[in-house]
Amino acid sequence: MRKYIIKRLLQLIPILFGITLLTFVLMHTSSVDAVDMMEQNTGMAWTEEQKTAIREELGLDKSVPVQYLNWVGNMLKGDMGTSYISGQPVLQMFLTRLPMTIYLTITSILLTIALSIPLGILSAVRKNRFTDYFIRILSFVGNSMPGFFVALLLMYVFSLKLGWFPVMGSGQGWKSIVLPTLTLAIAMSAKYTRQIRATVLEELKKDYVVGARARGVRERKILVGSVLKASMLTIVTLLSLSIGSLLGGTAIVESIFMWDGVGKMAVDAILTRDYPVIQVYVVWMAIIYVMVNLVTDIIYHYLDPRIRLQEKS
Amino acid sequence: MAHKKIAKLGTVFMAAVLMFGLLAGCGDNKDQNGGSAKAETASEKVFTFGDTTFNAENDESDVNPHRGYSGWACIRYGIGETLFKYSDSMELEPWLAKSYENIDDNTWKITLQDNVTFSSGRKMDAQAVKECLDDLVAVHERAAGDLKISNIDADGQILTITTSEPVPALMNYLSDPYGCIIDMEAGITADGKVVGTGPYIVKELETDKGVTLVKNDNYWNGSPHLDTIYVKTITDGDTMTMAMQSGELDAAYGLPYASLPLFKNEPYTISSCETSRSFFAQMNYATEALQDDDVRAAIASAIDKENFTSVLMDGNGTAAVGPFPASFTFGDNAVTAESYDPAKAKELLKKAGWTDTDGDGYVDKNGKKLTIRWLTYPSRQELPLLAESVQATMKDVGIDIQVNCTANHQDYLDKGDWDIFAGAFVSAPTGDPEYFFTTHCLDSSTKNRGGYHSDALEALEKQMSVTFDSSERATLGTQMTQTILDDHAFVFASHLKMSMVSGKGVSGLVAHPSDYYEITADLDKE
Repeated sequence: MRKYIIKRLLQLIPILFGITLLTFVLMHTSSVDAVDMMEQNTGMAWTEEQKTAIREELGLDKSVPVQYLNWVGNMLKGDMGTSYISGQPVLQMFLTRLPMTIYLTITSILLTIALSIPLGILSAVRKNRFTDYFIRILSFVGNSMPGFFVALLLMYVFSLKLGWFPVMGSGQGWKSIVLPTLTLAIAMSAKYTRQIRATVLEELKKDYVVGARARGVRERKILVGSVLKASMLTIVTLLSLSIGSLLGGTAIVESIFMWDGVGKMAVDAILTRDYPVIQVYVVWMAIIYVMVNLVTDIIYHYLDPRIRLQEKS
Repeated sequence: MAHKKIAKLGTVFMAAVLMFGLLAGCGDNKDQNGGSAKAETASEKVFTFGDTTFNAENDESDVNPHRGYSGWACIRYGIGETLFKYSDSMELEPWLAKSYENIDDNTWKITLQDNVTFSSGRKMDAQAVKECLDDLVAVHERAAGDLKISNIDADGQILTITTSEPVPALMNYLSDPYGCIIDMEAGITADGKVVGTGPYIVKELETDKGVTLVKNDNYWNGSPHLDTIYVKTITDGDTMTMAMQSGELDAAYGLPYASLPLFKNEPYTISSCETSRSFFAQMNYATEALQDDDVRAAIASAIDKENFTSVLMDGNGTAAVGPFPASFTFGDNAVTAESYDPAKAKELLKKAGWTDTDGDGYVDKNGKKLTIRWLTYPSRQELPLLAESVQATMKDVGIDIQVNCTANHQDYLDKGDWDIFAGAFVSAPTGDPEYFFTTHCLDSSTKNRGGYHSDALEALEKQMSVTFDSSERATLGTQMTQTILDDHAFVFASHLKMSMVSGKGVSGLVAHPSDYYEITADLDKE
């Protein structure tokens, strides 16, 4: 297992180089660079001399391979560059925002698990009865509503009408996290509930469940002790996909709730061609991709005896 | 056994995560509102202002006027002031300076006010202003290019500026937000805080998040009414709207058009005015059809500006004639252009040889349909709307408009793959007419994308470049505007109306055509 983990971690190196090189090349295919975007955003006219001077200052006058090699060389020294737009060190910008993204990821995932597992099981156990239909309709509605709509609806109801939470939630302690978490959890729970229902229904048909019932094992024990355990593979797969996506940030939720995470930072960087910020985000996404997949594989190894047996043989 | 171990570890991990989540949330109770959770006293007047612009994307990362466009934040938030300011008709009036005198083509004498102090307590004299302007031209590329200052002498309250070449609009440029006078002795902090002469002092700032201001008790020009102002950067229009409705914001700048009707009635007030940000189209003279003045005139006559501004922009713009709004002395009231007249447009096309011979609804000539590639971009919400409006009205006169609305418009401009380019531009940021023509209309202009040339315009610009009297410059500006309108090289659709919404009990927040003055000593809240 140790060797496997090390091997997977070493794969991160070529992935990082590959993805950052590809991103770098793609970014530079546009004829509009960060300086052009800065000029456009101001609505003024800059002379070519002014733009050339800024490009020289930012290193944008050099060829793409030279710019990339400079970036790699600096990255290996721990210097990810400075933002073309704000002038701040990119790594510092990113690390300032990352805890907020992680915080939102954790709360969203926990709420999703807390909602979707009981609802999924309940829906499966009460199949084709009122409870099942009700949960499935909720799931359908939750899946259909776009994230920005859910966010604004929650803000309208809970902040504006009921006054339970502030509209401008950032920096308001625990109140800041509730609505963003709900927004993300509603969409994810809607999806998870259906998946868990389907998996549980599949498991409930299996011989070991029939056998357990025949032996007089209580239904709750069958569900929690056996069926849920068997469904964990599905749940872990869904979780790994969602965690990976959430750790990349959610620009819309961050924008609406003024949540200072990495998602909005990334989208703004793309719109303004802020290449150093885009690169650090791409590095982060590559790390997430490798780490989340690795952790998922490790969990599979411990959850599924068949995988352990296969490895041994 | 291994599984039990994993289960235990997993339980401990989940518990730790929950604890972290709760503690992190509980700890995040500071800094957005001035760095502490200290309760405000009942007698303190606190004001919260929502703004869309204080962010790095707008090149406003801090309030240091010597950096990028941060001067806009400095002046808008009442931190800094310039030597002169603009009146409602964009003419210069005294501010930190009493008067100026143009000694010769390259020399200006400015007399400063006697009673101004920086919020640091230092008296503002010519030496302090010299230090500030020396630093400005040393570090700010755009300012150095505009001002062309070669030397500054300071003597008491008299400042003498020498330029390397004639700069007739020097006083206008010095009134640009980058000209905010700051105390260089007090310095500029690492995060971009500065000491100015304005009614408010910056206490805290965070790029992309906002600024905390406190009253300047030593303000030289009145008594600020508010003790603390929190400026919050809010990028989402709906969030800002709901924050205004909930009362969390006392005022807001940059609300989306669709939200403004919610604040039309009491207790809200809306202050709006035309600005010099104009939406306009420029013709590509490389396109064969557009080389005919009758075709260009027909296009100009087929754009329904009134419908565009009153319906599509919901009244948040005014129909334009030229590049400058009517409030400017050289603005729309002084010039004439084609008005919306589809019948005239059809006549002009017919005169140019374009008629619908094949009955498809579009005019053609020598077997070729008149198709115009309309290039624009989406980052200004008005531009796609203008394109759609034009496409509809042009169809009525028989012109086929193919709209290309793309963020990569520069690609198409570079390749010449366009016939008409529509964009937005602040045509007179310093209240001087020359800027628009030097940037868009002359042979040497960087934004003369269509290759427009006019001998008359070049001659007028030569005159303008050596004319120092502001009323003469206004007259020349009017003539230059009329020249480009008569040539139908540009069609100006509308001028943007900027609006600020004030909540209950708020007074003193008044929109200005320059868009520079927001938080002033007059701002108050009951």
